[in-house]
Amino acid sequence: MSAQVNTVLGPIGADELGVVAIHEALLSVVPGAQFAYDITIDRAEIFDILASKLRAFKAAGGGTIVDRTGMFHGRDLPLYEALSRSTGVHIVASTGMGPEENLGGYFLTPQTNPPTPWPAERFAELFAAEATDGMVHPRVARRAPAGLIVTTQSSDGATPTDDSLLRGAALAATRSGVALAFSAPSDTIRALELALAEGLPADRIVVSGLDRAGTGATVRATARAVAKRGAYIALDHIGRVDAGSPSDDDRAALVLALVDAGHGARILLSAGAVGVAKGHAEVNSAYEVVLTDFAPKLAAHGLDEDGIRRILIDNPRDLLAVKEA
Amino acid sequence: MTRVNTVLGPIAAQQLGFTSIHEHIGYGMPGSELDTRWWKTPEQRYEETIPKLRAFAEHGGQTFVDATGICNGRDIDYYQSIAEKTGVNIIAATGFVGGDTALKHFAEASVEYLTDQFVHELTVGIGTSGGKAGIIKVGVSRGFKLTALDLRIYRAAARASLATGAPIITHLAVDAATAIEALQDEGLPLTRVLFGHADDGVSQGKVDEEGIVSAGGRIGFDTFGYDLELPDPPFWGRHRDERFQHLMRYLRSGQADKVLVAADANCSPLGWPGVKGHTINYLFEQLIPDLRQDGVDDATIDQLFIGNVADFFTTSTPDTLNSEGK
Repeated sequence: MSAQVNTVLGPIGADELGVVAIHEALLSVVPGAQFAYDITIDRAEIFDILASKLRAFKAAGGGTIVDRTGMFHGRDLPLYEALSRSTGVHIVASTGMGPEENLGGYFLTPQTNPPTPWPAERFAELFAAEATDGMVHPRVARRAPAGLIVTTQSSDGATPTDDSLLRGAALAATRSGVALAFSAPSDTIRALELALAEGLPADRIVVSGLDRAGTGATVRATARAVAKRGAYIALDHIGRVDAGSPSDDDRAALVLALVDAGHGARILLSAGAVGVAKGHAEVNSAYEVVLTDFAPKLAAHGLDEDGIRRILIDNPRDLLAVKEA
Repeated sequence: MTRVNTVLGPIAAQQLGFTSIHEHIGYGMPGSELDTRWWKTPEQRYEETIPKLRAFAEHGGQTFVDATGICNGRDIDYYQSIAEKTGVNIIAATGFVGGDTALKHFAEASVEYLTDQFVHELTVGIGTSGGKAGIIKVGVSRGFKLTALDLRIYRAAARASLATGAPIITHLAVDAATAIEALQDEGLPLTRVLFGHADDGVSQGKVDEEGIVSAGGRIGFDTFGYDLELPDPPFWGRHRDERFQHLMRYLRSGQADKVLVAADANCSPLGWPGVKGHTINYLFEQLIPDLRQDGVDDATIDQLFIGNVADFFTTSTPDTLNSEGK
C-alpha cells in the first residue's frame, strides 16, 4: 500500500495532495469565545466564507489545506468534512493543544488533591488516540484520524505544562506515525531537543513560526540548525507584513540560502491565514498567497521549477504521509 | 414582585418552594469534553438524571439551582428539556466556578466585560437557548486564595447582582475577608451572597464564619452528603456527624436564618467519575430525618429550604438599592 495521509474525509494517497498549505487555520476560536455573549458563531455564514477562500486556493493551484489549530481552538469536523466535499480541497485537521494559556482547567487543575497538571504521558494518550482512533467531536463521536499533531510553547518562555504538551505530542507522533509540528518562539533548539529525546525521528518534526519576527542572523542560524538536525522548517507567515515582521523578499532570500546549504528537502511554506477568526483579530491574508505571490518571488530569486515544486508538493507529502508505527 | 429566572422562564419567588441552592445536573472541568473516557450517550445521561429528579419531586422538592458555571458543561437546552419533563424548576447560573474554570477568552477579560457577560445571561439569555440565568456563580481557585482573576469575577458578579437583583453563590468560603472587601467595595450588600462549601472537609479551619455572618453574608452548608463514611469519598469529604453538628450549632444558636443547605451532587457527572452513592436526595433520605431525630421542628426545616431561599432571592432589588445608595 502506498503512503497514506489522514484527511477529514479519511485517508488518501499521499500523491493526491498536490500543493499543500501546511499551516493554516480554517475556523479559529479562542477557547471560551464560543460562550461569549457578544460573539455569534453562524455556521452557515462561516461555511460560505471558508468555501470561497478554499475555492480561491484551489483556483490558484492549491490542493490541500492543513488546519493547524489543534483540537481546542475552534476545530469543527462536520463543517470541515462538508467544506472538503463541496470545494474538492483536501483538508487535513490536527490534534494537539498549546500553549498552556489555551488549555482548559481539566488539564491544569484537575479535581485531584493536589491539582497536579497533566504530565506528558497523559497528553500523549489523548493526542495519539486522536491520530489513530479519530478526532473527537466533543461528547458526540470520533471522526477521522488527525493528520498532524501540533503544539505551541508560550512566547515568553516555555512553562512546565508547555513542555509536557510538547513531549506528549512527540510521544503521540512516535506512536501514531503522524508528524509533529510545533512552534517555540523563546528557545527553538531546546524544544527540538526535547521532542527528539522522546524517540521521534527528526524527519517527523516541523518547526514552525520561525519567520514571524524576522529573518535576521539569529533566525537564519536557528533555521539552519533545525534543518541540519534533519527537521523541517516551516516559514508560515508568507505574505504577512505586520509591524516588525520581515518582507517576503527577506523570506525568499532565507529560502534560497537554505536551499544553497543543501536543505531544500526540509523547507515548508504557508500563509498562516485564518479563514474565520472568533475572539481574536482577523488575519488579513489568503491561503493561496504562496502560489500567487511567493512562488514567483522564489523564481525571481533564482529557484528553479523543480526546487519550487519540491517545497510546495514533495516536502509536505513526505511529512504528512503516516509512517508505519 | 420578585421574578426568579428558571430555564423555562421567570417564576415568583413564592413559587420556588423546597429548593436545593447548590446542585449540578452535570459538571465537568473545561476541556473534559475532549476526553472520551467520560463520554456518555444521551440515553445514559437521561437515565442517570431523570430518576433522581423524579425522586426529588416525589419527596417534595420543587426547585433545583444548578451551580454549573460558564465553560463547565453548562447546557441550557438540556436543562430546559429536563425541567419541562420532570416539573422540577431548574435555575441556571451565570459566572464561573472559579478563575480555574474560565477559559482564555474570559481569563483575559476585564471586569467590565465580565459584567456585561453576566448581565446579558441574566437579562437577555444564555447562548441561543432563550433561557436566562437566575443566579451568579463565583469561586476561589485551587489553593485557597483568591487569584486576581477570581477577584475580577467577584467584582463583575457584584456589579451584575446590583444591576439585576440576582444573588451570588460562591464555590468555597475560604479567603472570605478578601472576597468581602471586594464585594463591599462594589457596594453590594452581603445578604446577596451565599458563601458556599463552608461545611466541606478541606475548608475546616480556613473559613471565617464570624466575619461572613457579621458582614451580613450567608453560610453555605451545601456539600451535605459528601461523607467520609461513603465507600469512596472525595478529598473534600467530611465525617457525617461532624458536618451535621456544625449545622446544628447554627440552628441551636438561633442563626437558622444565616444558612442555606444543599448537597452539591451531580445527577450525571460530565468530566469526572462523580461520587458513588451521593445524590441530591440525601437531603430527604438522610439529612431531614437526622434533623427531625435531633428535635428540629418542621418550621425550621421549611425555613432552611423554603423561607431562607425565598429571602435570598428577594432581599433587595436594584431600585431599592439605588435609592438607598443615594
